[in-house]
Amino acid sequence: MRAVRRPRARRQGALSFDNLVRIVYLGLFLAFLLAPFYWTVITSIKPIDDFMNIPPVWFPEQPTLIHYRVAMFTYRGLDGLINSVVVSTAATVLSVLLGTLMGYSFARFNTGGQHLSFWVLSQRFLPPVAVVLPVFLLYRYLGLNDTRFGLVLVYTVMTLPLSAWMMFAYFRQMPAELEEAALVDGYSRWGALWRVALPLALPGVVAAAVFTFIFCWTEFFFALILTSRHAFTLPTIFRGFLGFQASSYGEASALAIVSLVPSIILGMLVQRHLVRGLTLGAVRG
Amino acid sequence: MARTDTVDGFVLPRRRVGAWSIWADRHFRWLLVAPAAVLILALTIYPLVYSVWVAFVNFDFQIPGHAFVGLQNFEHVVEDPIARRSLLTTAILSVSSVVLEFLLGLGLAMSMTGTFRGRGVIMLILIVPLFVSPVVVGQIWSLILQRPYGPFDYLVTQLFGPTEISWLTGNPWKYISLIVADIWQWTPFMFVILLAGLTSVSPELYEAAELDGVSRWQTFWNITLPQITPLILIAVTFRFLDAIKLFDIIFIMTGGGPGTSTYTTSFYLYQTGFQNFHLGQATAGSWLFLILTAVLIMFLVRRLLRPETA
Repeated sequence: MRAVRRPRARRQGALSFDNLVRIVYLGLFLAFLLAPFYWTVITSIKPIDDFMNIPPVWFPEQPTLIHYRVAMFTYRGLDGLINSVVVSTAATVLSVLLGTLMGYSFARFNTGGQHLSFWVLSQRFLPPVAVVLPVFLLYRYLGLNDTRFGLVLVYTVMTLPLSAWMMFAYFRQMPAELEEAALVDGYSRWGALWRVALPLALPGVVAAAVFTFIFCWTEFFFALILTSRHAFTLPTIFRGFLGFQASSYGEASALAIVSLVPSIILGMLVQRHLVRGLTLGAVRG
Repeated sequence: MARTDTVDGFVLPRRRVGAWSIWADRHFRWLLVAPAAVLILALTIYPLVYSVWVAFVNFDFQIPGHAFVGLQNFEHVVEDPIARRSLLTTAILSVSSVVLEFLLGLGLAMSMTGTFRGRGVIMLILIVPLFVSPVVVGQIWSLILQRPYGPFDYLVTQLFGPTEISWLTGNPWKYISLIVADIWQWTPFMFVILLAGLTSVSPELYEAAELDGVSRWQTFWNITLPQITPLILIAVTFRFLDAIKLFDIIFIMTGGGPGTSTYTTSFYLYQTGFQNFHLGQATAGSWLFLILTAVLIMFLVRRLLRPETA
């Protein structure tokens, strides 16, 4: 029982000046965030005749889905979508698998001390433009240009700092006693990791996987340079709209919607782990 | 080591003890690190080493042969006015974006402390831009800002009368447009991390301050800010190190133009290497950029990510 009753930190006024400022600021910012989404959705269902109207058509009288069909087939959005799904999924599996092993080793054995873990982390901040050209030449030599496999390898390497450091942070805050008990019980070290530690770390693995997937799903630069007609991903299709005409507004918007819906849904599912994911585990969310 | 299958009557899992598994157990920690380390070596370290060679030879798709040219590639970059300008543009765009995102994000974080009705939904909306591809962000903002059919231009015309401003090509509006798109996407990043900082400040500190009659402003300045400084540094550093790589929204919104006026360093190196095919020059430039970035990383990241902050 508490002897001292603590004073309330802040009085809850009905509509104090503070609350008014807070509401106005949040309201304005939400409008700023949401307006572009509204405009994109509306543009994606407008008939072509509505594009060149002043004042702009805020809501089309005859919504149409034709832009989605054109975007999917004429602009090969469907092929890009399939490539994006395949490449992002494969890279996520590979990156999270290797990153988990590495993170476990860092957390339990302090492998390579701080040097190795910071070396891995520093890859996260490497400017892509510094490595893309040699990778491009290497891939040309190996015949990996414009292949899904080549892109998977690049994405795996690029997301390893993320998955390894997220799992590093996760294992570090997990007590090691259970694994030690498993070793005493005759498990091999591998068994202690695979059958004891990993199931306990599953929430962390899922979070790392989702952030890795979103990274691959939204990546543009490497896909732009390393793919062309076959392995191109969804984001690279947007280069086709450069200097675009009013006639392709609808297709651009439709593709934007197709691209952003999956990653937004996934992102919301791991909202709890957001801070950890954004800072590679440096901050506990 | 004794190989008993029972201890005190408990049946233990049978352990395969071969030469391999003993070796594997002894080198376990390195075996775990090896696959990831090998991949990183193959796809970032090997290319970097290889590119040292590219930087010092003639490597141009228009000129045959790979003759050693010494520092000529580096000279080409350093003397190129477009390169220098692109570095300045990168600095201006990244610093102004990061500063504005920090201020707006801090405001959001402070507005979202405590509990109130609808907080969960607002939280969900606020984090959405983080999951959108930067290319899509650029595409969406191009649609909004384009003239004369875009909604933004129409609203401005209605409010302030007809304008001749072209939001994506005019000076200084093209820079402002790029910054706005960047702010739209990354303010949530600052917000999320700063909110984590604000909620971790012990309420006792505020209670003590209130009992002592400290003003709100002083409380913010002397308690809140010092308490969340580590997280401010992390948020700003992470954001800044990404902001200097700005490429995607440039590519979509301005294409570096008009002319070369919105080239960032990444965009300049891309153009030089992959559009004009001066690969030696682009590689030399990317090494200079890499060294600049590495210096920043050394200063900022090592200091921040000590295990204590975790």
